Amino acid sequence: MERIVKSKIKIVAIILLVFTVFSCAKEDVNINSLDETIFVRHKKADMPAYIHGNGSDKVFLIILHGGPGGSGLQYRSNTIRTEIEKNNAVVYFDQRGHNNAQGNYSEKEVSVDIMAEDIIALGRVIKAKFGDDSKLFLMGHSWGGTLGTATLLKNQSIFSGWIDVAGVHSPKGLYDAYKITLNTVANEQIALGNSVDYWRNTLDLVQNIEPTNTLESFGKLNTASHEGEAKLEEDKVINDFKADYGDDVPSDHLPKVRWNSNKIQDILMKKQGLFQNVSYTNQLSKITLPSIVLWGKYDLVVPTTFAYEAFDNFGSNDKQFFIFEKSAHSPMSTEPKLFSEKVIEFINSH
Amino acid sequence: MKKYTIIFLLIYALQLQAQSRADGITFLNRTEFKVGYYGNVFSENGLNLGIEYLWKEKEKVKEKKRGQKIITHQLLFNGSLGYATNFTNKTDNGLYTHYGLIWRRTSPKRWQLNLELNPLGYYRSFLPETFEVKGDEVSKVKFPGRSYYAPSVGFGIGRLRKGKRRSGWYLNLNYALRTPYNAGTLDILSIQYGHRFNFKKK
Repeated sequence: MERIVKSKIKIVAIILLVFTVFSCAKEDVNINSLDETIFVRHKKADMPAYIHGNGSDKVFLIILHGGPGGSGLQYRSNTIRTEIEKNNAVVYFDQRGHNNAQGNYSEKEVSVDIMAEDIIALGRVIKAKFGDDSKLFLMGHSWGGTLGTATLLKNQSIFSGWIDVAGVHSPKGLYDAYKITLNTVANEQIALGNSVDYWRNTLDLVQNIEPTNTLESFGKLNTASHEGEAKLEEDKVINDFKADYGDDVPSDHLPKVRWNSNKIQDILMKKQGLFQNVSYTNQLSKITLPSIVLWGKYDLVVPTTFAYEAFDNFGSNDKQFFIFEKSAHSPMSTEPKLFSEKVIEFINSH
Repeated sequence: MKKYTIIFLLIYALQLQAQSRADGITFLNRTEFKVGYYGNVFSENGLNLGIEYLWKEKEKVKEKKRGQKIITHQLLFNGSLGYATNFTNKTDNGLYTHYGLIWRRTSPKRWQLNLELNPLGYYRSFLPETFEVKGDEVSKVKFPGRSYYAPSVGFGIGRLRKGKRRSGWYLNLNYALRTPYNAGTLDILSIQYGHRFNFKKK
């Protein structure tokens, strides 16, 4: 009897030991081919940074995902993975309250301001881990453009360059921009004979939408913009959307990811009125870093008026501008080769 | 909160053992152990070890044409400890422990229905290399991770193997909470599949 108990205990102990060893095993860092997950703890949140690629020159591209509600590793596809990671290291970051980030904080401790401080904290961590001589480039896509702008307005001294990809520097300005852009694109497509009924419905929606920017009316136009881009893809006005993750398809815990996404949207959009109250347009001139503005010509989700406004108002003497002719909101997924060329060229020249 | 939860769980475990002595019945004769899988198959997989201590038992005898039918209802103290991971991006490693009660109905054909209520639960996440930033200062965190209060409920089926060392299997759907988690309460749905065994004197 005693022997049986002892043998069972041994088995259990061995199993637990195996699990412990797997969870604690320290991996060797290969700087030429980084494959690391580290966490940044800041203001009661633990946020993962997935670092991949060639870190031999200590050049790191930090990607700020879209949303609110996106995830870092959703950008690890196409040529970001196959080309940009060969040129330099790429840091895919789950922002506070997103995807695999966790923490014990209150709703009051979630704001664009605190999230911008998180990004600066991430920058400090990379420099602490890989050396103070590391060069950091910041790329913000869509909502990541809001966060990137807020970050640079707090502290741009730790970054070497800003890559603005369809970034929303003025969330509250989107509502009026939607009305103008949806109207223009709908008329263009009707004139070309593309999905005429669909675009007539879009014109009706824009004409009848209430003048006040509320969460509900904003949601209607935002949905119309996403659907409009899908229609443009269907009619071959833009290239097909590609997301090739190779062997590294993110295997996140989907219900948790969805819960996080809903929660952060509820806080930032519903309770704090992100798309009704926040705008950094008047402060863009304070951004003096070398910058590049990359946009899809048919971007309905963040219209190109934002691209021109950003480029015209950045205070930098070293700024570039490029429009992808066959893309909408995500040029990294519709013109991936050209996208990586532009990003690599910008990074290598700074 | 974390400290109080651990203290409460320890007291509860001691109380459980003390009760068995007071009854004058050997602990092992009223106790079953369990080992099994815990996770959601896709992104979180782990191992669960547990212990069930019989608190109350009631047999209902029904007279039928073909003879007697005995349905057993049991109330058991439950304690479990497990570890789960997603094996890939190192963001979902964690140790959890649950304590509570199980109501179990065993049919004459040995099929079992389990209803589990674990008001006491604790989840500790284990994170990879973590750096804490306070102002301009960056420091490495020792034993990085976070603690959450994690009560759970479960519902499932199983089958009894009468008089055997390996006394049956169970398949439960488990619903657990982790709080406070990212300014709210995260709910986690998982399955538990495993076998029970005992060291009862025959």
